Amino acid sequence: MRAIRAIAVNTFREAIRDRILYLFIGFAIVMVISTKLFGMLTVGDEAKIVKDIGLAAMQFFSMLIAVMMSMLLISREVDNRTVFNILSKPVRRWQFIVGNYVGLVAIVAANLLLITVVLVVMVLIYTGQFDPMLIFAAAMTMLEMLVLAAFATLFAVLTRPILGSLMTLAMFVVGHTSADLWMLTRQLPSAFTRAMITTVYYLVPNLDRFNFQTEVVHDLSIQPAAVGWAVVYAAAFVGVLLFLAALRFQTKDLK
Amino acid sequence: MADVKLSVQDLRKTFHPGLFEKPIEVLKGLSFDVRRGEIFGFLGPNGAGKTTTIKAITELIFPDSGTISVCGFPQTSLEAKRRIGFMTESPYVYRHLTGREFLRFCAELLGVERSEQEDRISHILDDVGMKGSGDRKMGTYSKGMLQRVALGQALLGDPELLILDEPMSGLDPIGRRDVRDIILRQAAAGVTIFFSSHIIPDVETLCDRVAIVVDGRVRAIGTVGDLVSREADRYEVTFAGAMPEDLSTRLLAHHVGSGEAWVRVSAGDREALMGELADRGARIVSMNPVRATLEDVLMTHGEGADQ
Repeated sequence: MRAIRAIAVNTFREAIRDRILYLFIGFAIVMVISTKLFGMLTVGDEAKIVKDIGLAAMQFFSMLIAVMMSMLLISREVDNRTVFNILSKPVRRWQFIVGNYVGLVAIVAANLLLITVVLVVMVLIYTGQFDPMLIFAAAMTMLEMLVLAAFATLFAVLTRPILGSLMTLAMFVVGHTSADLWMLTRQLPSAFTRAMITTVYYLVPNLDRFNFQTEVVHDLSIQPAAVGWAVVYAAAFVGVLLFLAALRFQTKDLK
Repeated sequence: MADVKLSVQDLRKTFHPGLFEKPIEVLKGLSFDVRRGEIFGFLGPNGAGKTTTIKAITELIFPDSGTISVCGFPQTSLEAKRRIGFMTESPYVYRHLTGREFLRFCAELLGVERSEQEDRISHILDDVGMKGSGDRKMGTYSKGMLQRVALGQALLGDPELLILDEPMSGLDPIGRRDVRDIILRQAAAGVTIFFSSHIIPDVETLCDRVAIVVDGRVRAIGTVGDLVSREADRYEVTFAGAMPEDLSTRLLAHHVGSGEAWVRVSAGDREALMGELADRGARIVSMNPVRATLEDVLMTHGEGADQ
């Protein structure tokens, strides 16, 4: 545990000195603050529009940070060969993967916390009310980011940073459309195509499981079972993805 | 086996750079043992397989076949890694950390008790001559300072076996002397030292035993004295009154200048040369035996591998 903690802390420190992180955070905060402008320009409940766009911005920028930072951090350790210092010590390779992942998750969580605070304050100014459901929505976004960061970690081990980033971005897009794919299978006459799409559906995560934005924005009821399943679903994906990343990294020659 | 700190047997490794590229066989059945308390030099030209061997020992790469044991443990075990202090060929460090922070990170990885860490790190910084610079960011360090900190992290866990990959390359003479002194101090403290180099004077000065590795195999192994005396001696003779081109004795090298000629012959040809010079009435100015240097041994084996 000490090794994982040390690697996570080091990863976190490495990340917070990266300017690209502050660029993303800056954009995210500007986006959340500018939701007031969107509220003024749009017909409808302004508070709901602020929440809707604010939550979407939170999700999008958290995704960008998770994808970019995980790629940068792991590939930088390997390319700069600082990983030699770590792995020549009594540290298992899976501990390096998990430590890096935990450090990355800490970065994403810190960023998400910051954006959430800004959004909560914005809504408080707008409506005069504290909306705790925004914190719930942020927590569910964090679950989604845990899955995406695990994908990014796996791709960082498997391939080069740019390709890995693109693959993770693709996973984000497909993950948010996989439910539609599932619906599509019912319309298809070909059994082969149906089987193919069903396979894809089960291989990629259904990231909409973590999306409770509609419920939060429109004050709809949320099923505790849906939240529970989302937690189990995220844990299962993270477990499997990190296992695969560790498995690949376990036999990787570091030249 | 108890007296062997590092054993490498029949190590083989082939890299596969790409689908359409030819595999590169780097290690071709490399074997050697390093005994307790000795300074063992791993000498070879660039591309001989030195760094690949070290990476296999430190589990950074995985050999295709062969066995490695460190202090009696397989190199893949944590027990082996706890006993190794490793310094890479170039100092790969986090430039945004201070030297002290970097060593603290390494101490955590090594499992050094937190209560002991600060004392230990201060001691190490002092040992590697970085006492006054430990709190500066490593991005501001010179190459020599980075090398010292990298050496410091290798010493941090009180290793039984210190593995140093080209520890003195790129250092100025003062830096090299300092690193050499640190190595000698560690050896005096009973640490077994395995270091690779292509800088022959460093190896000759420091090592109890040397392995010469060329083209993925150990070509010769022994003390510097063993390796050198095993090679045929040569003689350098300076004379006047005859031209080297006219001699029938086989000459290894020759040169003519300012009325005197200089030739180098193998020990076996020395008598023939002396006889021929006497027959021709030449005057012998000097005759010096030349012992083969480690460089000669390395060159001989290197040329052998090329052919």
